[in-house]
Amino acid sequence: MTSRWRRSVDELALRGRQRGECERAQEALGRVTSCFQQLAASLGSSADGSFLRDEMDETRNLAQRICRGLSRRLLRLLSDCGPAPSGLEDRQVLDCGPAPSGVEDRQVSERLWVLFLSALETFLSDLRKACDLIGRFPLRQRYDRRALVNTGCVDGVVAVAARVASVQAPWLTLEEEPTPDLTNHITELEAMLSEMQLRVPVAFWSVEATQPAGVEACGGLEGLEGLQEVEDSLEELMEGEIVSRRPACCCLSCVG
Amino acid sequence: MTIRTARPDRVQHFRPRMHCLKKLEAMMVEMQSGVKGSEQKLNVTTIPHVITGKDIIAWITNKMKSTTEESQAFGTMLVAYGYIYPLENHKKLVMCNDTSLYRFQTPYFWPTQKWVAEDSDYAIYLAKRNIRKKGMLEPYEQAHYNHLHEWLNHKWDFIVMQATEQYKAGKERKKPDRVVFDCQERAYWIVNKPPRHTHSAMDCGPERLIDPNSDEKITFDTYRRMNLFYQQAIMRSKVKSSVSLGALVKYITTYKNHDPFLAPCLPSNPWHTDNDTYWTMNMRQVEVPTKMRVERWSFSLFELLSDLRGRDDFKIFLKKEFSGENMAFWEAAEELKWGTASSMTSKAETIFKTFLAPGAPRWINIDGRTMGLTVKGLDHPHRYVLEAAQTHVFLLMKKDTFFRYLKSPVYKEIQKKALNPEPHNFSPAQLEQNAQNRSPGIHPIILWQQDESEKAKAAIASAPVDVKAMMSKIDRK
Repeated sequence: MTSRWRRSVDELALRGRQRGECERAQEALGRVTSCFQQLAASLGSSADGSFLRDEMDETRNLAQRICRGLSRRLLRLLSDCGPAPSGLEDRQVLDCGPAPSGVEDRQVSERLWVLFLSALETFLSDLRKACDLIGRFPLRQRYDRRALVNTGCVDGVVAVAARVASVQAPWLTLEEEPTPDLTNHITELEAMLSEMQLRVPVAFWSVEATQPAGVEACGGLEGLEGLQEVEDSLEELMEGEIVSRRPACCCLSCVG
Repeated sequence: MTIRTARPDRVQHFRPRMHCLKKLEAMMVEMQSGVKGSEQKLNVTTIPHVITGKDIIAWITNKMKSTTEESQAFGTMLVAYGYIYPLENHKKLVMCNDTSLYRFQTPYFWPTQKWVAEDSDYAIYLAKRNIRKKGMLEPYEQAHYNHLHEWLNHKWDFIVMQATEQYKAGKERKKPDRVVFDCQERAYWIVNKPPRHTHSAMDCGPERLIDPNSDEKITFDTYRRMNLFYQQAIMRSKVKSSVSLGALVKYITTYKNHDPFLAPCLPSNPWHTDNDTYWTMNMRQVEVPTKMRVERWSFSLFELLSDLRGRDDFKIFLKKEFSGENMAFWEAAEELKWGTASSMTSKAETIFKTFLAPGAPRWINIDGRTMGLTVKGLDHPHRYVLEAAQTHVFLLMKKDTFFRYLKSPVYKEIQKKALNPEPHNFSPAQLEQNAQNRSPGIHPIILWQQDESEKAKAAIASAPVDVKAMMSKIDRK
């Protein structure tokens, strides 16, 4: 009896550690994907070049490693615990009994699951866009550079790349693999997404947000203090471009 | 994790535009070397690659060998699609032929991406904007934010996390690039989720339920029906195009000032300003009509009779002239035409007794041949049995009574009394207010009740006077 109790306590501790790992990895993934988006936004513009594309490859390689590790761990977490305790007959089979902490664990794991899959979907759409853009602006020859769009962006992805390089995830040092091709990368992620959705049934609509709406505006989130003050001048810069002029030539039957 | 609808995605949102957008992209690439760019100074930073509207339009005119107006329209379409965005007045997606400044949009935000702008991406953008503006979002953005917070609640933590991360990643760039990226993103979302009164070109219609790609099988029956249709078309009487076009031109010249979308209507077009004074002033039961309405009555008898308020006025005139039986017959025939099938026989009988029988109380004066046909038809009454007589009566009224009405004091008086409301002049804030406070209008049941009470009153007024009851009332007094 006591050994069973001790086993479940150990299991709970282990799962708690694994969840912590997953949460940190989720944050790292968020960082990498947002940097990837910044890089992808410069594709096809005057800031495009081989440096940018190499950085993009590095970034997505990193993202891929995080994704692989996260998906494996999340699958393990959620299939260990078995299906949700709500409404299933064979509860005796479950290792984690119907204890209230078990239900909470399950909810936390499901939340991580939903967060990871949402991040995966967003990253996939970015990858597809990037693939399309690279196809359209190949940059194989020198004269291809004339086709690039003058958007006003000159440079500036160096710091973004540095940010990517500073990302740490728990298992990154262990696995080192070469960067897959972009199309293969997309296929692999799609396969991962569908596999995860098929293997574990998670009612994702039952997950609820942990914070109320608009909390990010108050600067209550960690890491945002100190960044807010600089924003005022930037906002003024952008607002200053808005001149409320109503040129007479442009009244295309609009009122007011 | 996104909830996707179960209906198959026929990619309706981009199909109509794909060809057009492909050609536009080629043109955008050519424009890079063609249009001269300059620098924009903002406080201490300078941002390159800013272009003026007139340079763009000049280049388009040169390239496409068209007129300036057409090039301006083309330029406006480029802005409305989101290939070029304006730097001043970013909510108005038009291209002006002057020194207003524009910039090219980066291909990542071009509209050719085959994927519709996702709600999750919009939510992340709004959260980012919330961070930057410390909660002071525009009203339409706030409405979207609240809606998305409710519908994407399961991934809201991810959205906030991603927004924070993207915000921090954006800060890593140099200042000019950061400003440019923020402008680009804002322009993208103004095109894809336009605020009120912004006309972006990314509107697409409702999803089609039929797959436009699948071939329709043409069966024997389809061919049979096609044959019938073409045979009937050949047999139809034809009119010379000069004649029909002349009629069209005449119609347009008469009515063009009365169309609220072609000419400004007073006080204001409810579809533009969300203020429904125009509709309340032109209702059925209104005491004093508007000047435009009264003017419309003078166009033809058909207009006068179609507008029920005009019909009332005409009936007042006819009562003064004591020649109301034509009008009454016409109305009774209308009622027969539009009424229920079960009431047709009884209605036909009353009409015969009142108007057509020799010696009837309100006998109408139509020619013998029509009278004979109508009476014979009344043996087996159907909906259109009075059609010939009604047309004859209509023509009588049109040729004679209508012109007398237009010259009569009744009409002149109503012309004088008619209202000419002041045009509205709403500021953008008031327009926003109007849009929020749209009235739901009058309930149709109330309108129906009003109609019924009117009909009851009219029935009592026109019921044949019971002579005996009148005499006994007078005796009692």
